Amino acid sequence: MRVKLWGTRGSIPSPGPETIRYGGNTSCVGVTLSDGSMLALDAGTGIRGLGLALAAEPARLHILLTHLHLDHIQGLVFFAPAFRAQTEIVIWGPASPEASLRDRIARYVSAPLSPVEVRELPCDVSFHHCPEAEWEIGPARIRAASVAHRGPTLGYRIDDGDSSLAYIPDHEPALGADLDELDEDWISGLGLARDASLLIHDGQYEDTEYPDHVGWGHSSVSHAISFARRAGASHTLLFHHDPTHTDARLDELGRQARERWLELGGEADGIDLAEELAEYELPAMAASAAPAT
Amino acid sequence: MTQKPLELILARNLMSALSTPAFLVDEGGVLVFYNEAAGTLLGKRFEELGTVGPEEWGSLFGPFNENGEPIPYDELPLVIAVRNGRPAHADFEISSVDGARQQVEASAFPILTAHGSRGAIAVFWPAAASNGAGH
Repeated sequence: MRVKLWGTRGSIPSPGPETIRYGGNTSCVGVTLSDGSMLALDAGTGIRGLGLALAAEPARLHILLTHLHLDHIQGLVFFAPAFRAQTEIVIWGPASPEASLRDRIARYVSAPLSPVEVRELPCDVSFHHCPEAEWEIGPARIRAASVAHRGPTLGYRIDDGDSSLAYIPDHEPALGADLDELDEDWISGLGLARDASLLIHDGQYEDTEYPDHVGWGHSSVSHAISFARRAGASHTLLFHHDPTHTDARLDELGRQARERWLELGGEADGIDLAEELAEYELPAMAASAAPAT
Repeated sequence: MTQKPLELILARNLMSALSTPAFLVDEGGVLVFYNEAAGTLLGKRFEELGTVGPEEWGSLFGPFNENGEPIPYDELPLVIAVRNGRPAHADFEISSVDGARQQVEASAFPILTAHGSRGAIAVFWPAAASNGAGH
């Protein structure tokens, strides 16, 4: 399984000279499965770059949406494959008692917010509520589960052979909970992340920022670290960077995170901050997920 | 490890922060949590008891009707909520582990999601407290 980070920023695109390294595009992760099948996790502004990189292939791809906040769907109408008639796009997302996934996405992909309507997209697009049970895409087993955020929100786990990716970009598992004390089955999202080769997890706030953002649906770095330690993932990437965090500030945050990780007994290089365009090859027995060169 | 559904996790987190006695069962009727206030009412903390299967937890506090007779399990508000998917309310007397009896009101409501039932929550109001509120 090959993973590429096309957008790592949370909330709102944050381009500029101070965010070049960690990136300004919002959530999107490209996943190439062992048979070449392509998945996109979320469709923030990062999916535009993914679409351009795909050229005319593949003919079929899946987009797995965690939720429908704008920073996770804004790139949909700028995704080049959606404008090719030969492309089949399968969009998965959370169910809601309020309206279908298609109708909820159409609120954005419609006038006046968008120049095109869903029905006008040249591609063959379909929408599916994620089932509770595991399902398969190509060689991968996919699992979705609701996680603690604001509104219907999913986390995903993708198992392909012996490699596994857990993707929980918007997550506040510590809301009203002590992550160090609770039994594992009572921690939001932990079942998805358990022993994953790579865990991509919300780490939006510095610890000092979190008290002013309790209940906003995101994690402090310390909470993300506690969650990752409980999950036992081989490698963790802190993701969904706050739009106010510059590269310099994220460098310092990463230093503190690694220090805290080691204090808690984590292995060296077990945690990093997600950088836009970084790539990871998940080996069958992923002891680490080193950035591809 | 079987991950609990998010709705139960959030319910437990909320209940943990309340001083209102509250009980939580899963979709199968298993008592999976009650908070400290409920523990005070029963005379036993949840951590001491652990999860209790359906049909068993009712007898923990032996709800009694106004005649002092045990209320059938099927008629308890929490059971009605989880089995029938609708809210239920009742007044009854409960017994704590030390045998002390207390009159309470109990309201239960189901936890329903897009994927069906996740369980139910019941909140208990000691009669003295409920008499003092809203009248």
